[in-house]
Amino acid sequence: MNFLSEYTYYIGAFSLIIIGLYIILVKKNLMKVIIGFSIFDTGIYLFLITVGYLREGTAPVFSKSGLDAGKMVDPVPQALVLTAIVIGVAVLALAVILAIKIYAHYGTINLRKIKEQRW
Amino acid sequence: MVNPVLFIVVPLGLAFAIPLLKYISKKIIRFVPALAFLFNLVFALRLIPVVMDHPVHVHIGGFIPPMGINLVAGPVGMLFVVLIALVGFLVSVYAFHPVKEKYEDRYHILYMLQLTGATGVVLTGDIFNLFVFFEILCLASYSLVAYLGNRAGIESAVKYLIQGSLGSGLILIGIGLLYGQFGTLNMADIAGRIHSVQPVSVYVPLVLFITGFGVEAALFPLNAWLPDAHSSAPTTISAVLSGIAIEVGLYAVLRVVFTLFGISNMMGFFLVLGVLTLLIGELCAFSQDNIKRMLAFSSIGQIGLLVFAFSLASTQGITGGFFQLASHTLGKALLFLAAGYMITRTGSMEIASFKGMGKTMPFTSLAFTIGAFSMVGLPPFMGFPGKFMILKAALHDGQMLTLILLGFILIATVIEGAYFFRVVQVLYFAGDDLPDRERAPAAFSRLVPIFLFTGLIIVLGIYPSLITDLLDASALELLDRPGFIKSIIP
Repeated sequence: MNFLSEYTYYIGAFSLIIIGLYIILVKKNLMKVIIGFSIFDTGIYLFLITVGYLREGTAPVFSKSGLDAGKMVDPVPQALVLTAIVIGVAVLALAVILAIKIYAHYGTINLRKIKEQRW
Repeated sequence: MVNPVLFIVVPLGLAFAIPLLKYISKKIIRFVPALAFLFNLVFALRLIPVVMDHPVHVHIGGFIPPMGINLVAGPVGMLFVVLIALVGFLVSVYAFHPVKEKYEDRYHILYMLQLTGATGVVLTGDIFNLFVFFEILCLASYSLVAYLGNRAGIESAVKYLIQGSLGSGLILIGIGLLYGQFGTLNMADIAGRIHSVQPVSVYVPLVLFITGFGVEAALFPLNAWLPDAHSSAPTTISAVLSGIAIEVGLYAVLRVVFTLFGISNMMGFFLVLGVLTLLIGELCAFSQDNIKRMLAFSSIGQIGLLVFAFSLASTQGITGGFFQLASHTLGKALLFLAAGYMITRTGSMEIASFKGMGKTMPFTSLAFTIGAFSMVGLPPFMGFPGKFMILKAALHDGQMLTLILLGFILIATVIEGAYFFRVVQVLYFAGDDLPDRERAPAAFSRLVPIFLFTGLIIVLGIYPSLITDLLDASALELLDRPGFIKSIIP
């Protein structure tokens, strides 16, 4: 149980990543694949945040004297996650637009049925 | 001396100025990309002598590394900046004659963002910054592949997007793992401390990085998107994707393998992977009837050859690799532009429809032929010194594995020759029953870039020594890892 409580966030993050990967690889419906990407990305964000997380840490702002830098949450991963979320939103928006276009052209969003281009 | 940060800022700023400039004049926006990349080209060429002496470092916001984001304009970075600016400029001249009248402004914005991303990737010294620029490059590429909005384009863009963003996700996990271990994002800082932890704990990020960047670099099992995306994109974008985007992906792999992790005992794997990529690419290219698909598969083959050259990990091998990289960038951009110009006349991508083009479009056909000869590696074109240097380096290496793989490379070159000569044969010697085609007046803006690329290929093929100094310095930068780290973190 000690292991579980210590690494809860890592376990959660990697479970989300694995679930997302599974959906991306297995599902045929393009919208479900996009949802899988969303879950995959969320897992990565949670993982990045966990890297810099400190239990009972404070915000990294020196508002009062006597605050210990060692007890502060690392702000860098949070900045990374903000950037990554913005990128992720852009990718998802583009993916959804392409899904609409796919439906307009093919009348289906089943990825197994869209295979005009092949080696 | 110009500040290297301008190579990123100028195209980025002008890209977002396009929606405003559109209100002044609709005509003016198509000249904006050419202007931006001409600026980059001129000032990058002027910066090269300075960089050869000592790399230029820029600390953004004045934070000294490892704290802030830094730009490293070393020989490798500047080589890529010059190539990107050169191809970017010439291809945007080609686009003076619009690809598609509708949404022309969006095309130019995305085109500039794509090349800004590529420039950022090769200049940055910060691993997360590299990821961000890489994403700018990829996102712009996904949307540009779908730009024509036809069935093929949309389908390829979806494939490209799914595989590309999966790769980007893996890179991000790798960055998280590295940050968790070292508490820094500066590449030189990580590189300096990478041997202080257990090797096992850096293998996982290494594998994630190689897989993630390998998608964009089109390494063998990860390149299923490439032939679709490169063949269904608009002509100009195919030229940029084949000439710039995959090379930038390869640059990221090289940076990670050589500088960041400093691995020397995995080179056998990369040698085999490179030759496998080469053989698969050339064999698939051989069986294509569609000219753009053939060129796309040929790009896969060339990337394999580059991976082989770089993983020889000797000065000669890497110099040869960089020469071949430059040759592939110019040659493939030329081939795609020339083929695209011929496609606009014939209206079909089938090789068989190019019958007798040698008569109706003599200049473009000649340029295509020169590009094809350069790709195969015939003297006096640029492909010859590149391939020759790689062969010499492989023979110099002298290990059994390298020599066996060298045999496969020669076989692959023969296959490459076979399919390129087949196209040349269709262009000039396809018999007498030619379709009746008028000689249309040539579009000046399309012929000029084709001419300039051809000229560069011939000049650099005859005088390879014009750029070998820069290439030697680049090879040294990749191999001299302690020197690179020391120049950033004293």
